[in-house]
Amino acid sequence: MKAACVTAGILAVALAAAVRPSAQTSPETLKGIERLEGDWVRADPNGSGDFGGLTSKFTPASLTPQAAADMQAGRRAAGAPRGPAYTDDKPHEAGQAYIVVQKPCAPGPFGSGGALGINPDSGAIHFVISKNEVILAPERGGIRHIYMDGRKHPDLSRWTPTGAGHSVGYVENGELVVDTMGITTGGVTAGGWRTPETHLIERFVVSPDGQRLTINYRWDDAKIYQKPHEYHYELDRLPAGSYAFEEWCDASDPIEQQSVVPPPQ
Amino acid sequence: MKKRFTSVVVAALIAGGAWTISTYAQARGQGAGAAAPAFDPHDISGFWILPAEGKKVPAAKLLPRITKAMLDLHARRDTHAVRWCNLPGVPFAMETGTPIDIRVGPTTIIVAPEGDPAPRYLYLGRKHVSPDVYDNSTNGDSIANWEGDALVVDTVGFHATRGITSIPGGGFKTDKSHLQERYRLLANGRVLSVTFTWTDPMVFAAPHTYEFRYNRLPATYEPAPAFECDPYDETRAAFIGDPAPFTPATK
Repeated sequence: MKAACVTAGILAVALAAAVRPSAQTSPETLKGIERLEGDWVRADPNGSGDFGGLTSKFTPASLTPQAAADMQAGRRAAGAPRGPAYTDDKPHEAGQAYIVVQKPCAPGPFGSGGALGINPDSGAIHFVISKNEVILAPERGGIRHIYMDGRKHPDLSRWTPTGAGHSVGYVENGELVVDTMGITTGGVTAGGWRTPETHLIERFVVSPDGQRLTINYRWDDAKIYQKPHEYHYELDRLPAGSYAFEEWCDASDPIEQQSVVPPPQ
Repeated sequence: MKKRFTSVVVAALIAGGAWTISTYAQARGQGAGAAAPAFDPHDISGFWILPAEGKKVPAAKLLPRITKAMLDLHARRDTHAVRWCNLPGVPFAMETGTPIDIRVGPTTIIVAPEGDPAPRYLYLGRKHVSPDVYDNSTNGDSIANWEGDALVVDTVGFHATRGITSIPGGGFKTDKSHLQERYRLLANGRVLSVTFTWTDPMVFAAPHTYEFRYNRLPATYEPAPAFECDPYDETRAAFIGDPAPFTPATK
């Protein structure tokens, strides 16, 4: 009788386990990455002076011939004349602004839709860590949804590429690892290129004292790279009590077009 | 003995199956008549949609100084903000017509309406930033605390003119406005009630309270790629119009 009861119990538990809904990522599996929560800003310890200087010590991407040609064509398109305002070659009097932006606050590949959550610029980024989703919010617009519940990427034939792409994450050795694809075609830091098919693997590593974040980037696409394109950014944690700033840009305000610095000719 | 064994197995299977169905139903918020809630009342993380029937908004009691002309001016400026794709800010961020992603972290709750480039940050267990250093914003400075099963969010520091300033039920926000919100889960976690109470010595004769009830979307929901607002889309601009063109005084 005792054996029968034990057998019955085992069967019942086995049946229950078989038909219960699959568990979502439990809070325990997030252990370690809660330390990511908060506010971070790029440290750029390796160079400065201009945007090129910031990445001058990165290993340049090793592109396939076809990808190099695609990138050159893309750059030519991006470098096309940007409007009549840029033909202004006369020095202005003091107090007379230069018109340097034709369409301020316009949507574009950067600064909207969470695109700056990948390779952030000087604006801060903010993490919120919750059990089924991590939010990475770049201060200059939009958010990245990083799904932590084990879901897969969508079929790209049913996905409209975005600046932030589609991201799924998991925890490995207490570090957040994120796989992203479905990003719009465009340039990548240090001479790289990408299409929606390109995979970006990011690994977010918080220092033992919790004050430094290293984001390791690995762009993987055999059609584009002769070997995976890798580099890293370093960010400092903002002081306790920091908060997200609002990026206000009013396209109707003429001052958004102006600068006291002459535009490049 | 064999018959007895079979009976025990069958009974155990039925019990196990019943437990499984019950657990599954409760996990889906469908448990019937359970004494204790089958959900974590603090787990407001998820995607939420505000249905048409989810708004209960009485008319605000406004101060006598608030004239129809003032309300009309704010309405025109709201149209201007929409036309030029300005950040809408609170309160519009809570009724954009798109799902809202709310995620609760250890120190911060983020409230991110789909397609809105500026999410709200609700900082847990903090004090407000000093007004000496805080630059007023369309979303304001929000701090949050749990009071039992209710998340109480306190927001100050609104910008007086930026974004959409009109408040549901009447009135508009100023840099003196104070908003208190109470978030509570209802219906086994399937519904999120948010009550909004606005006070402002420049606008309201009495605290103005209204309630929105949001429905939880499936956990598998994913936001669609956003149709980004383009202020240079001429067709769109012509359709909306601009009844309050930019003047420096409105900054």
